[in-house]
Amino acid sequence: MDAFIDAKGIKRRFHTSGGDFWALKGVDIVVPRGKLTILKGRSGSGKTTLMNILGALDKPTAGEVWFDGKNIVGMSERSQAKLRRKEIGFVFQSVALIPMMTAQENVEYALRMARSKESWEKRAEECLKMVNLGTRMKHMPQELSGGEQQRVCIARALAHRPKVIFADEPTAELDTLTGLQVVKIFKTLCEQEGVTVVMTTHDTGLMEIGDAVYELEDGERVYGRA
Amino acid sequence: MLRFVIRKMISKKWMLLALLIGNILSVSIASANPMYTRAMLQRTLTRGLEDYLTENNAYPGLITLTMANATKSLETIKAQDAWALQMEEKYQVPAIEKVCYRFTQSVRGALEMNRSDAQEPMLSIASLNEMEEHITLLTGRMYSQAPDAEGIIDVIVSEGAMRGMNLMMEDVIEFPRLLDSAGNSVKIRIAGMFTNKSQEDIYWVRNPNYYYDECFMDPDLFNSLFMNQDTMQNSISTTWYVLLDYTQFRGENAQAMLAASEYLTGELNSQFRKNYRDNFTDVLSNFVKTEKKVNVTLWVLQTPVFALLAAFVFMVSRQMLEMEQNEIAVIKSRGAGRGQIFSIYFIQSLLVALLSYGAGIPLGAYLCQVIGASNAFLEFVNRGSLPVEVHKEALLFAGAASLLSMAAMVIPALRYSKASIVGHKRQKNKKITQTPMWQKLCLDFIILGVALYGLYSFSGQKDILAVRVLEGASLDPLLFLSSSLFMIGAGLLAVRVLPLVVWVLFRLFRRIWSPALYASFMRVLRTRSSQGFIMVFLIMTIALGVFNAQAARTINQNAEDNLRYAIGADLVVQEKWADNASSVADDPNLEMEYYEPDFGRYDDLEGAQAIARVYVNKDISVSVSKGTVKNVQLMGIHTKDFGEAAWFKDSLSDIHWYHYLNALSRNSRSVLLSRNFQTTHGYKLGDTITYRNKNGDSQMGIVYGFVDYFPGFLPVEYKQGTDGVFKETENYLIVAHLQQLQSSWGEEPYQLWIKNKDGSGYFYEFAQENGIGYTLFQDSDAKLTEKKNDPVLQGTNGILTVGFIVVLLLCSVGFLIYWILSIRSRSLQFGIFRAMGMSMREVITMLLNEQLFISALPLGVGAAVGHFTAKLYMPLIQLAYAASDYAIPLEVVSHTADYVRLFVIIGIVILLCMVVLGMLISRLKIAQALKLGED
Repeated sequence: MDAFIDAKGIKRRFHTSGGDFWALKGVDIVVPRGKLTILKGRSGSGKTTLMNILGALDKPTAGEVWFDGKNIVGMSERSQAKLRRKEIGFVFQSVALIPMMTAQENVEYALRMARSKESWEKRAEECLKMVNLGTRMKHMPQELSGGEQQRVCIARALAHRPKVIFADEPTAELDTLTGLQVVKIFKTLCEQEGVTVVMTTHDTGLMEIGDAVYELEDGERVYGRA
Repeated sequence: MLRFVIRKMISKKWMLLALLIGNILSVSIASANPMYTRAMLQRTLTRGLEDYLTENNAYPGLITLTMANATKSLETIKAQDAWALQMEEKYQVPAIEKVCYRFTQSVRGALEMNRSDAQEPMLSIASLNEMEEHITLLTGRMYSQAPDAEGIIDVIVSEGAMRGMNLMMEDVIEFPRLLDSAGNSVKIRIAGMFTNKSQEDIYWVRNPNYYYDECFMDPDLFNSLFMNQDTMQNSISTTWYVLLDYTQFRGENAQAMLAASEYLTGELNSQFRKNYRDNFTDVLSNFVKTEKKVNVTLWVLQTPVFALLAAFVFMVSRQMLEMEQNEIAVIKSRGAGRGQIFSIYFIQSLLVALLSYGAGIPLGAYLCQVIGASNAFLEFVNRGSLPVEVHKEALLFAGAASLLSMAAMVIPALRYSKASIVGHKRQKNKKITQTPMWQKLCLDFIILGVALYGLYSFSGQKDILAVRVLEGASLDPLLFLSSSLFMIGAGLLAVRVLPLVVWVLFRLFRRIWSPALYASFMRVLRTRSSQGFIMVFLIMTIALGVFNAQAARTINQNAEDNLRYAIGADLVVQEKWADNASSVADDPNLEMEYYEPDFGRYDDLEGAQAIARVYVNKDISVSVSKGTVKNVQLMGIHTKDFGEAAWFKDSLSDIHWYHYLNALSRNSRSVLLSRNFQTTHGYKLGDTITYRNKNGDSQMGIVYGFVDYFPGFLPVEYKQGTDGVFKETENYLIVAHLQQLQSSWGEEPYQLWIKNKDGSGYFYEFAQENGIGYTLFQDSDAKLTEKKNDPVLQGTNGILTVGFIVVLLLCSVGFLIYWILSIRSRSLQFGIFRAMGMSMREVITMLLNEQLFISALPLGVGAAVGHFTAKLYMPLIQLAYAASDYAIPLEVVSHTADYVRLFVIIGIVILLCMVVLGMLISRLKIAQALKLGED
């Protein structure tokens, strides 16, 4: 199996007022290229922390992360930023659109960030159509429903053709049907565009769809299927 | 509830601090104004009274109560006494002395031991209460308390009486026409001669020698001898001198004292005929005029600062509410009513107001000292501290300010307390793109229109305005209001226009903006309403700051320039010239001749840089086609000396004024004329002009030039006519050669115009050393100092300075708060940007760019608005300060140093702000920021 990300012995400590807290206690994980990987776990199990580390948003206290053959733990802030800009797309649990830009501009913004050579307008339109929002491109985020906003986020995450998309509980705030739709979009992306997708969820119903599934509990991996 | 509110306040400590700053400032300014006004006016009043003392050598607190005629009615005298003793109570001022001087009519007395050289003296018998405490006996003994065995009473007399009446010690005099109550003629003995105990003793309203025909006896004895029955044997006169302690005159009582004086004058003069007089009415009524002027001026000047403070408090509390919207919604969803939410904010504002009230008043008292020490704009001198006291009025005004800012804090809460969770979100969505109300209403155009109309109509009445000021009016509040409105209108207009400029810029280079710049443009353009207020606020503060600075500079500079111009040089003096006036009086055929004093003395005067002799005669007449121009001012000068010594401003003449002097010097007969000779009477260059002095001696000159302004020449003057109305009169000027005038009209007294090297102190020493008396002595520096002590000018400088400082403070705090809050509330956004791969540097670039449009641009616009407002309105506003020396055209002055100060301080604030931002952002963990966003 071709591993897109190979993380070994990831530990992450947080300093809290009640003493140190180990969110991750040494997790090994492999994310296969071009597949949908699902991280499962209850809230507080450390899955978001793990994903932030995999996506170069956070640094582990110990361990190493091989991202497409590069160790990203030792990278400088700027290279990390560049990596995120070019190769990664994020979809967050909370709706994280830029409030003063329309849906289309939000998507375009990702292209601008990645300094994409493509026509931004065309690509943005394409992506929004991909998430079935072709008709609502000119709306401001506040004028869209929660599910629609989340779909804009997905369109934005994939616009600049990243190698990997990280989605943190993208279905948490959506009803089951919409949630399923979102997951299907990811699945299609993997199959048609060859994008690697990492997604966290606590919804057991979705787990069957994942090509690889890991479960975390109290900062430790308790289950894994690759 | 209270604990909840306090905890909530502590959790928002920065906002709280900002609220406190705003509140404390407004309380302190509100209380400082009445405190300062009263203290300064008190100083003015005391100074006025002291000036009266030195100028008139008379005690300013003196009340004189006399009777026109001597009376035999004891009742009348008692009534007079009663009035005199009421003075303290009527004026509410304690008296230092109450001198009662009684005297009989002057009658002829017979010397018991007749001397050949002495006639029968005409004397009156008098008494002064408490006399013994205020005299020293030069010789002899004190008066007796009772007649001796032979019925002779010992009296004392002044030195003047002794000499004038040719008396001798131990002379016994009998007055056959002066009877005691038993009907016996009075016999006195000259027992002693007195003088006043000290020269400074104010008890002696009149010098002892004034009493040249009085013999003083014991006051009690006088009363028992002459005043013990209802109808007295002799007519007695009484004069009361009541000396009120003028150092205890209170400015705030001046009006009441004037009323009392008017009442007493009316009442007593009808009862005793022309008998009440006091020394302080004039000083007081002048003072009351000044007081009105100062009060109006200071309030008017301070109103814009107040408005800004209120706006600031409003802005901060709105921000605070904005931040707490979620909490409000949560509390509401748990069942709290609107009233409860409102009361939370009410209690909070009450606490802030109380705290500020406590802290603001001492600060206000301190501000008074700062204002009191201001000499010019942002310039302070050590001028003996003001007698500042915290009085009721100050507390009242401070209370009013507190209420005002409480309203500014509570009113926004009123609106926010309505919001429920649903409504809150819906409103939030709407607000971001909404056009503000004022823009829809075109409020900016309306306000600007009103302001410009005000400017237009006031400009049309410039002359009326000047005359009104001369008649005692103060700065017209409407005029000042219209200048403030102009600033607001222009500021709002700028806020409307600025985004358009940004939009054009954005559109032009849409494709090439980096992501960071793109995002910042988006923010500036799309969230206009939330920045509108900070932009207006920044524009207003800076505009007001710049306006204040320029207003103060202009008023001061204009006052100084006018003064120096009108005097003509640093020092203008004229010695007393000896003449043959007495011989001329005897023999009218003689020519008047003057003897020139020795001017060699001035040649090596150390401190003088240049000295010029200038002959000035304002009583010249010129025959013109339409009749005669009278009261023409003639100046005879020596061109080179004059050019070196006189004060002149280059901007008053389109070519350098030396060119006129050079032209004049070309011909000994040449003259310069004032412009109106050309415009009104048709003189042309090269014409000849014949002018005459009051003796009818004529002189001919060739016109070499026309001048609009010339040192010491006022082209236009406002003069009060006989009907009391001020009228504009045009003046005429002829400048000729001194030598030419002297050779044809003979030596006449001329003035010396002196330019100092450094200060005029040396000249006073010189005059004293040489014992020279001057018939004319004008010292520009001294006059300037005097002018700077003018309460209106001083207060204006003080208020403008304080306003400037407050504006700086507000601007800085407002700016910091806005930015720190806006960063904090946007941590989710930064998280997104960072997650999408924006580097820290780019985030900072983005913020800098936002700063440029939201802060820097408004700062620049504010400075321009302030500058422009000053340019437009100062020519009118300054009339209130210098209408009488409306001699030379006004120049609106701006000091680069003020701009430097302003922008250096703001630059430091921006820098500080950036450091704080940098810290906030670098501490921001992307992951955490994103999590924060989950709330």
